[in-house]
Formats: sequence, C-alpha cells, structure tokens
Amino acid sequence: MTLESGELFPVDRALRGLRERFGEAVLDADRVSLREQVVVVPSARLAEVVEAVTREWGGTLLTLFGIDERAQAGRYRIHVMCSLAPQDAVLTFVAGVPEHAPRYPSVAARVPAALWLERELADMLGVTPDGHPDPRPLVAHAGWPAATHPLRRDFSPPADWQWAPRFATPQVEGEGVFEIPVGPIHAGIIEPGHFRFASMGESVLQLDVRLGWTWRGLEKSAEGASLSRGLELAERVCGMCALHHALAYCGAIEELAGVQVPPRARAIRVLLAELERLVNHLGDMAGILNDVAWVVGWAECMRLKERLQQANDVLFGHRFLRGTCVPGGVTREVDDTQQLWLRSVLADVRADVVTVQRLALAEPSVVDRLAGAGVLSREVAEDLGATGTAARASGRTLDLRRDHPYALYRELDFAIPTRSAGDVRARFELRGDEIHESLNLIDQLVHRLPGGPLVQHLGELPAGRWGCGLVESARGALTHWLHLAPDGRIADWRVRSASHALWPALAQSVPGNIVPDFPLINKSFNLCYGCCDK
Amino acid sequence: MWDLLQGPLQRGVLAGRAALSIPTGMAVAASEPPLPPEVMGEALRSEVRRLFRGSLQLRQLSAGSCNGCESELQALFAPFHDLQRYGIDIVASPRHADGLLVTGPVSRQLEEAVRMTDEAVPRPRLVIAVGDCACDGGFCRDSFAVHRGVAEVLPVDVRIPGCPPRPPEILEALLMALGRLAVRAGVARA
Ligand code: SF4
Repeated sequence: MTLESGELFPVDRALRGLRERFGEAVLDADRVSLREQVVVVPSARLAEVVEAVTREWGGTLLTLFGIDERAQAGRYRIHVMCSLAPQDAVLTFVAGVPEHAPRYPSVAARVPAALWLERELADMLGVTPDGHPDPRPLVAHAGWPAATHPLRRDFSPPADWQWAPRFATPQVEGEGVFEIPVGPIHAGIIEPGHFRFASMGESVLQLDVRLGWTWRGLEKSAEGASLSRGLELAERVCGMCALHHALAYCGAIEELAGVQVPPRARAIRVLLAELERLVNHLGDMAGILNDVAWVVGWAECMRLKERLQQANDVLFGHRFLRGTCVPGGVTREVDDTQQLWLRSVLADVRADVVTVQRLALAEPSVVDRLAGAGVLSREVAEDLGATGTAARASGRTLDLRRDHPYALYRELDFAIPTRSAGDVRARFELRGDEIHESLNLIDQLVHRLPGGPLVQHLGELPAGRWGCGLVESARGALTHWLHLAPDGRIADWRVRSASHALWPALAQSVPGNIVPDFPLINKSFNLCYGCCDK
Repeated sequence: MWDLLQGPLQRGVLAGRAALSIPTGMAVAASEPPLPPEVMGEALRSEVRRLFRGSLQLRQLSAGSCNGCESELQALFAPFHDLQRYGIDIVASPRHADGLLVTGPVSRQLEEAVRMTDEAVPRPRLVIAVGDCACDGGFCRDSFAVHRGVAEVLPVDVRIPGCPPRPPEILEALLMALGRLAVRAGVARA
C-alpha cells in the first residue's frame, strides 16, 4: 500500500488510538512475526478494544478462539485476530481469563461478527462470554453432560455422554405462524444440518440454523499430534476446500518457522488454489441452476467441473488435490508440456462458461428466480463479518489474496470483481466473473513458472511459537492457527473456515423470502457443514 | 439453450462423455481406471437388471464426512458418468430406497439420525459404506466424537475404500459387490 505524507500505517494508527483511548488497558504490545502485532489487554476490556478497532480503525475480525493455559498460568487465553487490510498486518488481542472465574464481557455483544465464535468458545472451553446476545450452545447438542468442554486439556469423554440430538429453538408465536423443521438428514447428496423455519403463509419469518452434526473433534485430535498428522487432519476438514486447508495449515507452519517457500512452489500453489476455486465455483453455479430447474445449465456446469477434476487427477494425482501441498512447498512438478495442456483444457472451459452464463441470464425462468432472492445487505454483511464471494456480491471488496498476499499472488495481476445487489443473481454472476479471474491467473503462469526447487527444508522448529495461515478459499477467508508445544508437536490448532463466518449471514438473508426459495438461497452461498463443525 | 446442445451434438457426444485427450508422452499422475467406465457401466446395467429388475434405488446418507465422498457420488450421477443410464438412481426418501450409500465415520452427534434413517428403509436393504471414513473411521478413527465406521452402527454389506474413492473405483466396487451378492442370494447367472 502507499501512504500520503504524514499518514500512519493502519497498524500504527490503531496502536496509537488504542494507547490514547485505552491507555492503561494496553498491558503489552509486541510484534511476533512480520505480519502479526500482539496487544495484551485485560479480558474486561477486550470487547471494547475489538469494537474500537473494527468500527473505527479499519479492522476486520478474522477469528476468535481460546486455549487452555491452566496448567502453566492458571488461566484460559483468548485470541482475537483482526485484519488491517490494505496493510498486510494482523492485530491480535490476547486476554487472559482466570481459571477460577472463567467469564469475561462478550465481544459479540458489541461486534456481531463474533456471535458463533463465542458460542463455540463457550462449548469448547467452558469460558462464558457475559452478555452474549444468543448464549445457546453451538456445537454441544443437548445430552452433553454439564461441564463437558472438549478443548480443555484435562478433558476425557464422560461415560454418561448422551448424544441424543434434542435442543431448544427460539420460539415464534402468533396466529397463523408455523414451524417447519428440516433436517439434519436432507434429501439429495448433501451434508447434514438442521434448519428451523418460522413461517407465516409462504413467507419465512425467522430461520434458525443448528449445526454440529458432523463434529469430529478434529481440533482435539490434533493436540499432541505430529506436524505430518496435522496435515492429514487439515486436508480432511473439508473435501471441497482440501487444498486451501492444506495451504493455510502449511502457511501457519511456515510463518512460525520463518521459512520462505521457493518461488516455483509458490507459483504451483497458485495453480492449485485457482484450480480448486474453479471446481468449487462451477459446482456452485451448477447447484444454483439445478435449484431453478434449468437442468441443461446444471449439466453443463457439472460436465466442466468433472473435466477439471479429471485434469487435477492427471496433473497432480488427486481429484481434490490432496497430498500436493506440504510445509515448505509442494510435492508435484508441473512441466512445460503439462502446463500447455492445462492451458488448452482451460481455454475450452472459459468458452463454455461464457456460453452457459449468457444463456442462463437470458432465460426468464432462471432470472426471475435469481433476481431479488436472498438479499444480504451490505450492512448485515459487514456486521456479521461475511467474507468471500458472498461478501463481494454485497459490495465488500475483501480478498485475502490481495489483503494478505500468500503464494505468488503479490506478483500476479488480478481484479476483485464485486456486485452490489447482494441477491442470488449477484452471487451467481460474481462466480462467473471470478472464474475468469482464476483463468487469467493461471494463464499468467503457464510457461512462466519460475525455476528452482519445490520445497524449502524447514529446519529446527522454534518450540512454543505460534503461526497463522490466512488464505482465500473458494468460499472466503480461511484461518489456521497453529501453536507448537515444547516437544515440537502440536499444542493447539484452531481452524476457522469461511462457512463458519457465513452461516449467520445466510440465516439473515432468508427471512422475507418464501420457503421454497430457501434451497436456492442456500445453494447460492453453498456453505460447508464439515469445515464449520470440524 | 440450442447453443449449449450444439457443441456436444456436433461432436457426437451427449452428456459430455468424452474423456480428456492427453498428448502422447505427457507425464500423467493419475492411476489408470480398472476398466473403462463405460464397460463397467454396461456390466452394472446387466447386474441391476438381473438382481433388481433393472432399477436400483439408493439413498445417500452423509454421516460426518468431509464432503469429498459426497462430491464423488454427485459426480457419478452427473454428466460423464451419469449412472442413471444403467438403472441406478438416488432417491430423496429412505422409504423409496433399496439401500443406503453411507459416507463418513458416523459422527456421534448424528448417530440417532442415522439409525432413524436406516429404520425408514424397507427390508431387505443394502448398506454400502463409501470411503475410508465409512469403512473404518479413516483418518479420524481415533477421535472420541466419531464411530470407527458405519459398521459400528448398521450392518454393512459393501465397503468401498478410498479417500475419496474415484468415481470409476466406486463403479468397480459396486460391480464386484453386486456379483458377490448374487452368489450369496443364489441368483443364477443369466
Ligand atoms: S474418506 Fe476421505 S474423502 Fe471420504 S469423507 Fe473421509 S476424509 Fe472425506
């Protein structure tokens, strides 16, 4: 970024503001990596400082999580990470919450983007955010015995653990109000989730989303695991975004190790990442067209998606690109012949996407359903911390490829298309635009891959340190935070996917629409259940 | 719409069944499918005809998977593989199903829903575990929050390993499994 004379970098402006306004509350400030600035605050003031940074000093909430430090320090430690884009800087607030009184004033009470994050924190660590607007459990279904908090270090599964999935939903009352429960098991080939609609006639009054059904306890499984086992877990948090999870996980290790990935590996990572984005966007477009019963468009998009996944298999040996990205680099070479071939495959895809999109948008039966459905307003998107394609379709120009460049994105040329309507049509059109940007990015690399090795050796890892990987997955911002134990194994691993950030936004975009439009609106976000539940 | 159909019609390929053409000499990382998918599909058609009077209806049940296995199942029922043409289809209700295609290790939070879905399937029914997770818990088998595969909850007839199994691998496994089931059920080869 460039600065006017006398202007401060965003992180310096925020730090100055914090010191001026909160003075004694800034207990300590320290730069822990090239990108991350840590500010230690008392937990009683955490909510206020996060509010000031996000509302006044340009911060965007990335994630909030806690770790158990009772054995070492008699407390839980909460991290709140904020992006200070356009500067490639991350401001992290760290607050201790004493073991004997595990509560603090809720951040979500002031910054709604933390709503689900704090519900999860309460489930996982048993730390209570006081004054949280919706203190219901998020992952914990009814039947969990009291004080079952899996991310406490001394947790062991209670013998009387009942897994019966009964839970309370917010009640809406009045004459003519119906409740429609849907799921967790859905018709079709889809993941499980429970949706509870309150409706009046055809219109949805309120939607409550209850997830957690696919919770596999992955963050717990990582405790004490080796880094290679961690990679296996990371790649399997989500199938559709397997590569981006690997990329974020490796990014965290590379940051804590202070390792530079070789240029050729960085270029191949861009190829991989854009291929994964293409596959996802094509699948999402197919889903949208299927839900408006324009089956020929669904078939065409699915055909293109299949071709790309076959190309993934031909080039990288895996249709979901697993096993390609490792800490320090990549495992697969892409030679000149393969690059040229990829370009020819993608040229066909480009032409066919143009056709299918043009025809879809010329079809009144398609456009009638897309336009005006499921509007996510810019204000709601901002308040709830929406990210990725959904945020950009509501007018927000957020993209971690530009805001916190990784791989080779800093050296490449790409636009960040946006739309302002925030409806299903905007999300549909935007995916088309983003497909072209992805294709352009790959074109820039073909035959221009830098030379050199594919992997940089990591060397001795600094025990006790942490690192954070930030990447823009097909659905938006993905964060992996990794903390090494003194023995070099994983002490803590915290994942926040774009879907986790977007589910509350989706729930807000449904009321006012008719019930039969819900599947369509849902598809236009196409959020993941597995990477939200973990 | 005509524009969309024109290309495939001219190329003589409907539903995009043309495989990617790969230049000779180019390095290929993918492993060869066991048999060309079309050959396996045709064989599958005759098994389905013999054992299920030409129509095998399955219900997909996602039980704590990462979505990778689901995605491959979607690919099987989309252009290119297009399993419907061999007489196999996915149905929306378990009550209409001859069996279940289960993915994921069966997360404990979903266990009750999995059992309830299975109870809704008329007997006899087939239970097919798709993917390493469904076979034995896969990569997360040591987590307390999941079962070590579908067999801990339902009687599994067919296991299809892979993370995820590629569509042709699922085809091959189905084919072999139906053959074995025929032997078990004493159905004579046509
Ligand atoms: S077997 Fe692999 S692809 Fe399938 S659900 Fe498990 S982790 Fe995902």
